[in-house]
Amino acid sequence: MSKKRTGVFVCHCGTNIAATVDVAKVAKEMAGENTVAFTQEYVYMCSEPGQESVVQAIKDNKLDSVVVTCCSPNLHEKTFRDNAQRAGINNFTVEIANIREQCSWVHKDKAKGTEKAIKISRSVVRRVNRNKPMDAIAVPVTRRAMVIGGGIAGIQAAIDIGNAGIEVILVEKQATIGGRMLQLSETFPTLDCAQCVMSPKMVEVNRHPKVKVMTYSEVQEVAGSVGNFRVKVFKRSTFVDPDKCKLCDECTEVCPVVVPNEYEHGLTARRAIYIPYAQAIPASFTLDEDACLGLNPVVCGKCKDVCETGAIDYDIRSQTVTEDVGAIVVATGFDLYDQANIPELGGGKIEDVLDGLQFERLCSASGATHGHVLRPSDHKEPKDVVFIQCVGSRDPAKHCAYCSKICCMYTAKHARLYKKHCPDGRAYIFYIDIRSGGKGYEEFVQRTMEDDDTLYLRGRVSRLYRHNGKVRVHGTDTLTGQNVEIDADMVVLALAMVPSKGTAEIAKTLKIGRDKDLFLAEAHPKLRPVESITGGIYLAGAAQAPKDIPETVAQAGAAAAKVIALLSQATLSRSPLIAKVRRSHCTGCGMCVEACPFIAIRLEGGKAIVNEALCEGCGSCSATCLRAAIDVKNVTQLQVYEMIEACLA
Amino acid sequence: MIDIKDIRDTARDMLTKGEARAVIGYRRGSRGMLAEPAFITNLEQADELVWDPTCFHNLSLYLVEDRKFLAHLRKTANAPIAIVAKGCDARSIVVLMQEHYFKREDVYIIGVSCEGTGVVDERKLAPLLNGAHATSAAFDGDDFVFTTAEGEKRLPAREVMADRCLECRNPFPKEHNAVFGEDKTGRQLAEPFAALTRFEAQGNSARWDIWSRHFDRCIRCFACRSVCPMCYCDECVVDSISFPVTAETTAEDKANRIRWIERSAVRSENITYLMTRAMHLAGRCTDCGECERACPVNVPIRLLNNKMEREAREKFGYEPGASIGGSSLVASFLDSDPGDFIR
Repeated sequence: MSKKRTGVFVCHCGTNIAATVDVAKVAKEMAGENTVAFTQEYVYMCSEPGQESVVQAIKDNKLDSVVVTCCSPNLHEKTFRDNAQRAGINNFTVEIANIREQCSWVHKDKAKGTEKAIKISRSVVRRVNRNKPMDAIAVPVTRRAMVIGGGIAGIQAAIDIGNAGIEVILVEKQATIGGRMLQLSETFPTLDCAQCVMSPKMVEVNRHPKVKVMTYSEVQEVAGSVGNFRVKVFKRSTFVDPDKCKLCDECTEVCPVVVPNEYEHGLTARRAIYIPYAQAIPASFTLDEDACLGLNPVVCGKCKDVCETGAIDYDIRSQTVTEDVGAIVVATGFDLYDQANIPELGGGKIEDVLDGLQFERLCSASGATHGHVLRPSDHKEPKDVVFIQCVGSRDPAKHCAYCSKICCMYTAKHARLYKKHCPDGRAYIFYIDIRSGGKGYEEFVQRTMEDDDTLYLRGRVSRLYRHNGKVRVHGTDTLTGQNVEIDADMVVLALAMVPSKGTAEIAKTLKIGRDKDLFLAEAHPKLRPVESITGGIYLAGAAQAPKDIPETVAQAGAAAAKVIALLSQATLSRSPLIAKVRRSHCTGCGMCVEACPFIAIRLEGGKAIVNEALCEGCGSCSATCLRAAIDVKNVTQLQVYEMIEACLA
Repeated sequence: MIDIKDIRDTARDMLTKGEARAVIGYRRGSRGMLAEPAFITNLEQADELVWDPTCFHNLSLYLVEDRKFLAHLRKTANAPIAIVAKGCDARSIVVLMQEHYFKREDVYIIGVSCEGTGVVDERKLAPLLNGAHATSAAFDGDDFVFTTAEGEKRLPAREVMADRCLECRNPFPKEHNAVFGEDKTGRQLAEPFAALTRFEAQGNSARWDIWSRHFDRCIRCFACRSVCPMCYCDECVVDSISFPVTAETTAEDKANRIRWIERSAVRSENITYLMTRAMHLAGRCTDCGECERACPVNVPIRLLNNKMEREAREKFGYEPGASIGGSSLVASFLDSDPGDFIR
């Protein structure tokens, strides 16, 4: 092997690096390295002139490898690898030495910072010395997508992807699509009926020739990677054939089982066989296996007997369906923070203390009270209603640290809806701040205060309890500095938004990360807000962070655009930097098989074998192997060893 | 109490029926009271088998040797091999099977329970014998009985037992084909990790002083590695001498072999060796204590291995050698694993 000719390009990054690192000294030191044929420093290496100079230097100096000492490889590795290719050398002989995030940004002392930057750069120069030229692996793309979650985010994403001519499978856990939005009465700031704007979307997605809707289904297992996922979906049996069901409702009349209706948040009850809403899609009844007396004609069988069309069949089995898709959008939505965590506000045990979604159902024409605001305890119209904002939000000590973003707006909306239903009633709102950023939002809140005569009290509520048939509210008005005591007929809590139940499982199944608040993590908070950290998996809606409907729809569209862009390619190029087994050292202990998060390694004939199509090059196997028998290409043991040596020298 | 006749009968039976091609056990050694490992292949030899407090060797090492020997001869085994295994030894065998080093059906485990005692620590025994030379040792309830030139000497076992046996939590070989002796799991002679806890009670600088001395004294004879059944790699990562060249070894492999440590037995290199070994044994070491016993310069190697074992137990609820099909400590990941060290 003839000696390498490496070029080292040191970036100032304005003063981001140059303020803490003597870049000229780094360049000078690197010039002393045996394999370095050229060095250069420049104020912004990533700028057009900077990049051009790299290309030119490669050509002029016959460089065969490049080290750019600059920011994180997450940002510009691709830029400089593309440049190398433009200059006619292999892009995998280009490596980044991160002297910004890993050095200048975290240090203050320039002398020591420079010393560290030199060590980092030297270690990468030594690594590059043993880098092998490689070609990206081209893999065909499965031109189908899956959307997980059938709320407004999922529906919008599915429609947009479908409109591009790409097949979509929309998977929804519940018996109907529609999600949270379908449960709302009216929406801020225009007060249009949620179901009226939602149901056309639901119909559209259901009738879309490119969209296959799978309700009552859950994603069980995901294998593969970007471009080629294999997803196992568990489709629970509804025991009703939707094609035969005529929605006559006779089955529910004979069903003897009564359970709380989760779609009405427990305000009403339903039968074991039920339909969530009149607008449910698919328009069919569902037999709740857990509530049913046993799917056994001997025990009950009344629904089956009464069904004229023979739509009910106790023998329909749940099934697991395997779908191959190239991209996945996760739109699993939100739940409300559990009231049980807030004992001072009753912990969910005080009558007539409702959460925001229950109040939505009270206001909804399709809800328990057919659109009349009646308090649950005695079905009378409440005359004094207290709304409390930020319940569980903005409380890092005890609950969620973050702002749930939509509560200011929906509480204002609740107050207005209440006044519409009960013009002679009085609405009180306890708030910390009013956050009404958004088109038409501030005006909406102002109208709530002025037109509807809602009493906004700035302060928190310390306690709620039943008192003389009412709910006594102990709070403080911090503007007047006085304690406030209100005997309310009803209290509505604007509970924090939390990721929906099952988000942890789906994140694990898909191998995507979650943030500190347990929402699904985006790849970059500013620049990649709809991508997960795993390639080919995108995020939409409140599963990623609290957001309102317009934002959710916008994010769903953005996720769909990403999917369409990805699936428009005939092949994807995969990184060739994957694991390789040294058979002579492998003892077949199988630890790598267990450690591999991508199920890419198996044992065959007592030795480990890497499936190149599945390996992501994460290096878990290499770190686990006791015998140094498995390496990631271009990050071999020898390279790591020489990098350590360079750092210690 | 285990009757040695039972073990001998089992060995004889296995060999007669051809159900085992050999029995790995203990026989009387040539040096005083000590037992030595024995590879029994014919019926007469079966009567040489012994079971006494000097049977400290972890015989699973010889299962590894046997596999390597067969591989060297390019032969496959025609019958299982039988082995006498104490609690700790049986756990070693389980780890080896967990790592697919051999299959369960390749080994016939003749389990022996240490019952209420364990094996003797010669270093503890010598001062108590006042210079007398013991010619044999035997179990007797909670005592060990030694025969010396001056007659029988009876000592409470716990006074002369190896630390690892005092601290042992599982003196009964759960994985076995046949087993002798009473299951006394749960017998608690000393707190688990008592020696480690005692050591850690000292301050950091005192501990560093002690370790510095030991790291200086280590002569890197590799006795600890040679006696350890878990150290079965053909090429040891710290070893730049015994580089195996096989048909699959490429010229590049030969040229690029890494010298993680230098040959000289100085402190820095010895630390690298002993620390690497401790890390490689995490979740695999079953605390048979043979490394420490074999060390000619008395480096307290168990402390290193115990430290890893305790971390694994307390942080991950992991017990090495608990089950053949179980996941391994370093390769498995659970959502419930502690992550508080990530900041």
